[in-house]
Amino acid sequence: MKSSRMVVLEVSGILMAVITALLCGFVVIFLTSSEPFAAVSALFLDPLSSWFNVGTILNKAVPLILTGLALSVVFQSGVFSMGAEGQLYIGSFLGALTAVYLPGLSPWIHLPLVVLAALIGGALFGAIPGLLKAYLNANEIVTTLMLNFVAILLTSYFVNNQFKSHGGGYAKMENIDKNILLAKIIPGTSAHAGILIALAAVVVVYLLLYKTSIGYELRMVGKNGHFARYGGIATRKIIVISVMISGALAGLAGIVEILGIQQTFKQNFSAGLGFDGIIIALLARNHPVGVLVAGLFYAYIQVGAQTMQYGSDMPREVAVIIQVMLVLLVTAQAIFTFIKQRYAKTEQKAVK
Amino acid sequence: MVWQTIWSQIIDLSLFAVLLRVMTPILLAALGGLISDIGGAINIGLEGLMLMSAFTSIAVGSSTGNWALGVLAGVGVSVLISYGMGFFSLKMKVDIIITGFAVNIFGSGFTIFLMSKIFGVTGNYSPSKAAPIPTVNIPFIEDVPLLGKLLSGHNLMVWIAILAVVFCMVLIYRTPYGVHLRSVGEAPQAAQSLGIPVTRIQYSALAWSGVFAGLAGAFMSNGLTNMFVKDMTGGTGFLALAVVLLGNRNPIGILFGSLIFGLASALATIVQTVPDAPIPSQFIQMIPYVVTIAALVFFAMRQKRKLATLT
Repeated sequence: MKSSRMVVLEVSGILMAVITALLCGFVVIFLTSSEPFAAVSALFLDPLSSWFNVGTILNKAVPLILTGLALSVVFQSGVFSMGAEGQLYIGSFLGALTAVYLPGLSPWIHLPLVVLAALIGGALFGAIPGLLKAYLNANEIVTTLMLNFVAILLTSYFVNNQFKSHGGGYAKMENIDKNILLAKIIPGTSAHAGILIALAAVVVVYLLLYKTSIGYELRMVGKNGHFARYGGIATRKIIVISVMISGALAGLAGIVEILGIQQTFKQNFSAGLGFDGIIIALLARNHPVGVLVAGLFYAYIQVGAQTMQYGSDMPREVAVIIQVMLVLLVTAQAIFTFIKQRYAKTEQKAVK
Repeated sequence: MVWQTIWSQIIDLSLFAVLLRVMTPILLAALGGLISDIGGAINIGLEGLMLMSAFTSIAVGSSTGNWALGVLAGVGVSVLISYGMGFFSLKMKVDIIITGFAVNIFGSGFTIFLMSKIFGVTGNYSPSKAAPIPTVNIPFIEDVPLLGKLLSGHNLMVWIAILAVVFCMVLIYRTPYGVHLRSVGEAPQAAQSLGIPVTRIQYSALAWSGVFAGLAGAFMSNGLTNMFVKDMTGGTGFLALAVVLLGNRNPIGILFGSLIFGLASALATIVQTVPDAPIPSQFIQMIPYVVTIAALVFFAMRQKRKLATLT
């Protein structure tokens, strides 16, 4: 059992890692920019300087939180899936099909149907690597990476041919009916209702992981598969279920992005949201509440990178350095073991 | 229409030449992936390493006017980052998959950053004075009708890639280093107890994968295209990972795997350029990935049957 002091240590370790990563970003900015102060202030202050920018942060955070949740679930069961990107495409593709090709329904029925289609699409596509992992022990890292390409190419084919919009040459579906697009929730900003869905998903995933027996079994399988099997847990079934839940959440991330921002399914619209989710889950130590915080923080950095590109001579890719250092430092077990050992030593001294 | 085009390209051997060109970066990167895989670390950062090398080699190559310097610089940068990967995964105990993932993000973003900072361009950089890796024309043979097309006029890097297959065969199966590498990959603790410097071997395995990924990247910018385009590797690093498994972790198997994948992407290019193709290009592009999953399933089932007969 983790004591609350251990949690405090863990969180402060993560905060230190975040600060160090930000410092690395500073160093690069100061080394390469001719107006470093303008760049840094544009990076950190501009995202919060207007309500409009805050709305953009919220919108950016929505898919990040959802894919972050998707990967948290699957990582907690000890499966290193990298397939959220593909599941996102398949899920949102089915969702968008339901949205475009089932007209004339009341939005109150139509919207839930669209979301349901996205959930099912993502879950079914997730079931493939899940089954391969559980029953054939096929390496999930490779299968999911391959399936990502399959999903991207498959949806690209359909959206270039059968389901292509008639207007214009761009590869996308017909626009989705305005009635079922997500409404703007904060006046004067572009923030859409997706953030409410993301918040709800955080709560649901938290309850699922920590308050249900499936969640308990899922976490046991991740901590010690052999032990879980001897304890009578159907490990294989749990692995498949966890990848399917993860796929459903990835599909949700995709359809919310479409209903909130894109307005229809466009070829290659995600551009790595599923991979960003991996970063979010790692930063959050796979905890749903952590995912919420990490998603918002990551979105803040992304918006900051954009405002920096407008407000100074730095390209927004500088944020990549911060992202990479974040990932590496937060997952560096050596650092965290070191902190805990130091802590254990001082504890012993205190007891003496 | 499409069949005619393909057939005529097979007949005049131009498909063969294209195949060799397309295969080369996949083969080189896969050999890099192989060595780190045998040493017990899946290097999923090949894509990022290739991008960094691709950018560095064209930048250095065009500014010095010397392609060899460019390639060397690209490989150097790639090896340097591999050592960085080693530092984070072996010393700081970051999961090797996460390290590779980070390298991919880094390679994609940092090359765009450098492109904009050094050359002030976004999207792509094509130098006015490129110094491409030369093609090898073999005297006398190049004038022989069939043989000339088969053997002559290929890029130097194509030959390096084929030699690299032989090199890897020897390195892995015929040298003491190879024995150490394999034992570290299969049973690190046992290797440690025999006095094999496990960490050092793993560093070197990552460095080798940096060398080969570096060559692959250098060829993509400095040999295939004479320009750098953002994210120009377009998944070749992931294809290479797949080839490692498809080739059953063996250099010769990898050569055949790369040929299959190269053929698929060469055909996809033809289909894309011919109007009204009967098969959509996306499905041809999909072949390597589907084949890999099928191969993975096949190997896994064979493994399972083996285990079943043992017990």
